[in-house]
Amino acid sequence: MTLKDRLQRLRGTLPSPMASDDPMDSRDRPTLAERLARVSLAQARATRASIPPVATLAEALGAQEIAPGVLCLERRLSGRHQHGRTVLNADAAGFADLIDPGWISPAVDGLRAQDGRTRDMPDACAPAGAAIPPDADLVCLDTETSGLSGGTGTWVFVTGLLRWDGREWCLRQYLLTRLDAEPAYLRAIAAELAGARLLATYNGLTFDCPLLSTRLRLSGLVDPLPRLSQLDLLRPVRRAFGRVWSDCRLLSVERRLLGFERQDDLPGAEAPAAWLAWLRAGETHPLSGVLRHNRWDLLSLAALIPRLAEVYRDPSACAADTRAIATYHRAQGRPALAIQLLTAQRAHLDAAGLNDLALLHRRQGDWEHACAIWEKLAASGDADALTELAKYHEHRMRDPSRALLYATRLPAGPARELRCGRLRSKLPSL
Amino acid sequence: MDNDRQATAPAALPRRIGQIDNPVPSTDRSNTETPALARLKSHLLERHRGRIVAESIQPAQPACWRDLPADLAPPLAQALARSGRPRLYRHQREAWDLARAKRHLVVATPTASGKTLCYNLPVLDAVLARGRKALYLFPTKALAQDQVAELLDLSRAVQAAGGAGVKAFTFDGDTPGDARKAVRTRGDIVLSNPDMLHQAILPHHTKWAQFFEGLAYVVVDELHTYRGVFGAHVANVLRRLRRICRFYGVEPTFIFASATIANPAELAERLCGAPVTAITESGAPRGERHLLLWNPPVINPDLGIRASARSQSTRIARAAAKLGLKCIVFARSRLMVEVITKYLKDIFDRDPRRPPRVLAYRGGYLPSERRRAEQAMRAGAVDLVVSTSALELGVDIGALDVSVLNGYPGTVAATWQRLGRAGRRLKPSLGVLVATSDALDQYMMRHPEFFFAASPEHARIHPDQLLILMDHVRCAAFELPFSDGESFGAEALEEMLGYLRDEGLLQHQGERWFWVADSYPANAVSLRSVAEGNFVVIDTSDGRQTVIAEVDYSSAPGTLYEGAIYLIQSQPYQVERLDWVGRKAFVTRTRADYYTDAIDYTRLKILDRFEWRAHGRGAAAHGEVHLVRRYPGYKKIRYYSHDNVGYGHIDLPDQEMHTTALWWQVEPDALETALPDRQQAIEGFLGAAYALHHVAALRAMAEIRDLGRAVGDGQGTWFAVMGAAGRGQIQGPDGAPRDPLADQRFEPTLFLYDNYPGGVGLSAPLFDDAPRLVADARDLVGACACTGGCPACVGPVLGADERLAITPRQAALAVLDLLR
Repeated sequence: MTLKDRLQRLRGTLPSPMASDDPMDSRDRPTLAERLARVSLAQARATRASIPPVATLAEALGAQEIAPGVLCLERRLSGRHQHGRTVLNADAAGFADLIDPGWISPAVDGLRAQDGRTRDMPDACAPAGAAIPPDADLVCLDTETSGLSGGTGTWVFVTGLLRWDGREWCLRQYLLTRLDAEPAYLRAIAAELAGARLLATYNGLTFDCPLLSTRLRLSGLVDPLPRLSQLDLLRPVRRAFGRVWSDCRLLSVERRLLGFERQDDLPGAEAPAAWLAWLRAGETHPLSGVLRHNRWDLLSLAALIPRLAEVYRDPSACAADTRAIATYHRAQGRPALAIQLLTAQRAHLDAAGLNDLALLHRRQGDWEHACAIWEKLAASGDADALTELAKYHEHRMRDPSRALLYATRLPAGPARELRCGRLRSKLPSL
Repeated sequence: MDNDRQATAPAALPRRIGQIDNPVPSTDRSNTETPALARLKSHLLERHRGRIVAESIQPAQPACWRDLPADLAPPLAQALARSGRPRLYRHQREAWDLARAKRHLVVATPTASGKTLCYNLPVLDAVLARGRKALYLFPTKALAQDQVAELLDLSRAVQAAGGAGVKAFTFDGDTPGDARKAVRTRGDIVLSNPDMLHQAILPHHTKWAQFFEGLAYVVVDELHTYRGVFGAHVANVLRRLRRICRFYGVEPTFIFASATIANPAELAERLCGAPVTAITESGAPRGERHLLLWNPPVINPDLGIRASARSQSTRIARAAAKLGLKCIVFARSRLMVEVITKYLKDIFDRDPRRPPRVLAYRGGYLPSERRRAEQAMRAGAVDLVVSTSALELGVDIGALDVSVLNGYPGTVAATWQRLGRAGRRLKPSLGVLVATSDALDQYMMRHPEFFFAASPEHARIHPDQLLILMDHVRCAAFELPFSDGESFGAEALEEMLGYLRDEGLLQHQGERWFWVADSYPANAVSLRSVAEGNFVVIDTSDGRQTVIAEVDYSSAPGTLYEGAIYLIQSQPYQVERLDWVGRKAFVTRTRADYYTDAIDYTRLKILDRFEWRAHGRGAAAHGEVHLVRRYPGYKKIRYYSHDNVGYGHIDLPDQEMHTTALWWQVEPDALETALPDRQQAIEGFLGAAYALHHVAALRAMAEIRDLGRAVGDGQGTWFAVMGAAGRGQIQGPDGAPRDPLADQRFEPTLFLYDNYPGGVGLSAPLFDDAPRLVADARDLVGACACTGGCPACVGPVLGADERLAITPRQAALAVLDLLR
């Protein structure tokens, strides 16, 4: 009995000889659907025999075979390339001024490269750089994978990289067409990253980079990623729009911020099937869809950086969450900018936003503006504003009776009792 | 009190007393026993002499010391000395010497002999002196959490002695996502379980690269629990672990710790796939151990019916508690735990304002409830614990004095493990094994020398069981591509990989097999059972929905059917609705004065006959079968009287599995001559099956529930059951009664099967032993003292059948004689 027969019998998908004369047990036999599934699997296997050579795929995609089984597709774009409403403009100022240092996750500084045994590549460990690397060191990265479940069985079969080389945009996509070619494929990617200092991705910290690290580990190669500072744009986007948009997918970013609509896009979720269709049946067409999808992702990344700078400079113009961005600026040590953004939007702020603004004024020592906002909020019974006013009059103006007037208007509860009790004890006895 | 009266009537015990009253002469016990324990024992001996079949006393044993190893990391040596351990027990030192020589080892010494230090010592030394790492595997999360607390205590002592801190972390399903990275990169010792290794660590091994590169030791505690299907899975998980270790260039040393089993080294070798040295002699001191074998008095000699074990166990526990002794009662089922708990609570916990003195502990409680129970036990707040096998494991519950076993646990190893729960910390202890009316228990009572002389069982696993092996080849292929010429298990790897390629999971390129599918195979493989998904029990009383318990898939149909009374700490809940697909049972609190017990019927169909041999006028065969188990209904049983007060209908999908079995058939002519009445033939087969099942379990050193038995026609056309009226009955595949004369052909088949999907390798050796089994069963039935059949030979029979021309017992003998 073959292994297959034994397994089918154990799982009950192969009818036993005895079952055939027993009408009561018809459900033990495979259903028609199961039998059909078996037949169609056989067909799929039959077509697998004729996989076209990699050269055919390279030709269909317009790519070069840079090593056996590894394709590279290169596109060069001018410094005025238009992506949706946005121009991919890497002008003289460069990215350095556009990237907020608070968006960057610093490099792990090659810790991994040191402790692991250096296997195959020279240790390209660079000294720790400044917070914002020069623009020439910025690389945008986006990958396509064989699945979303993660783990060592998930492949990164397309790695797209986009960088400004001083004169134009250079977009390179590496495609893995043979499984045993992975070391060469990964070496090419690692070489691309060797000169970079800052890596821009969309959700790369959680998804693309750990998967690439896993693949490099499995191939015994040194991982350049821990050495790179990371600019995962999902984080600033989520901060600015998480409470405004229904989702923060890159497609939403394109539609709402970049004015870019994809035509005939191959959804990212279909990428695994497209690669399998090549590996199993030699289909080339779906892969060209994957590469186009990946290119759009990369261009959107590059377009998003200057656009995001605008969002953080003037959130209201982009319908972003002004309060969240003001909070961010304050945390980054820019209270004046935070006050400016909130003041401009004052008419549209809710009570929480106004309280934020008043707090910023108070921290600047601007009691006048702070009190004006609190008075306005207190008029509608806002507890935070009432508390602040009570504190202001008690501690700053040394006027407990005035403070008590505010405190008594607080909502009933232990906080009010505590505050009122203390204030009453400070009042001269009647 | 009925039982006492019956017991004092000598006529009730005409033969047994003479045969069994053979106590070991008791030695001097005045100066070592605590007065309470001595009083309990003499009370039992004086009042119930007739029930005590045998007695044994294991003398106290002094400690056997060895020096601390000279090369032990100095802070560790100081920490040990300061905590009052300047020397090691002999077995601890032996473990150290083997571990330092990088030899795989297993420590199989009794409960409470200091096994933990056997592995903690070399591990801590490796961490402190050489910066290496260790992985600890425990069968449950709770045990890992216990152990991390102990390690941290030791680590603090080491730090106080000037050593570095040792970072020990648990890694299990409860570890929060943001803490996992710290565990992976900073943990010196990671304490986890095989399931986490299988689903979370190995498939993400690159994230654990640092950990694997430093891995020096893999510790597997509670080795004896890795048996059967679970053991076969874990053996494959360890094969995968060793494969990943080779990838990172390390060859860790395995240290196993086990309860007493016959073959610790063999089991450990099967699990880790390399030679293992066993340490079985304990150097730890031990208090004096008293053991009584207790047979409940016969209350109906004609039917061979004895008083229930439950009533006897409750009585002994009550006597112990009244003398101020701490006592644990082990029951064989979760249901019996709850019933005994109720009876004890009715005596000791009548005042709800006082903290409970009686506590139930079993699987299926929520972790938080179990933690609370463990704390209460450790704090000494509880006098009586009623437990299933859950407390066989090394959960620390503090010192107990008396251990009562309500029924023979099924194996000698489990019996000693449970008895070992009493008498920690050098105190003398008492164990009482109370027999039920089951054939196996009664066999023990008739042959106490069997129990005392028997070595513990062999724990067996079958890691190359095809379905299990395929599951893990799939997982291993995901973790790391297989290379041509590599091997994994006993089957031809290339053929398995080719099969996976044809399923579309793998591609073969450049002499390697690469995983290409968009899936995560470990998620589809559960180590604990073949079917997926535990059931949660949701209490909907008071309009809220609270999860109060979890029930594993295989026990769900027998415990959570609609109408079932589900007991937690003896509080009854009634199952109102069962959402089979959603794996939920909705229950409400109730005040029922009965509990429920499901009836299950099994039907088998022969799929493939591997081997066949003629014996007498029949034949035995071995092969593969398809099994359908159905739960048609349940009985309602009133507390205390144990009357059957009603039946209910169960509407559940059939449970199906494929497994291996051995079976016997008789030539139709010979059967017709020996037992012309088909009704009698059916009952003969049912009785013979009962006897064979019990002797086979004994012979295979398996627990009764590891093997199943059934009588049918081998085609699944009909099957025979003991009907509600106590008579053998033939039923069709739909469960409807069927006339035995309906079929032209009448070929009853007696099955014993591996009670696990795919089989676990029990039935093949039984087939080789078939003539011996039949002889043993013939002996069991033939030598029984009853008249027409009793639970000790062919199973319970009706009183009226005693007077039949051919009693069920004679019918069973006729069938067994045809098979000889």
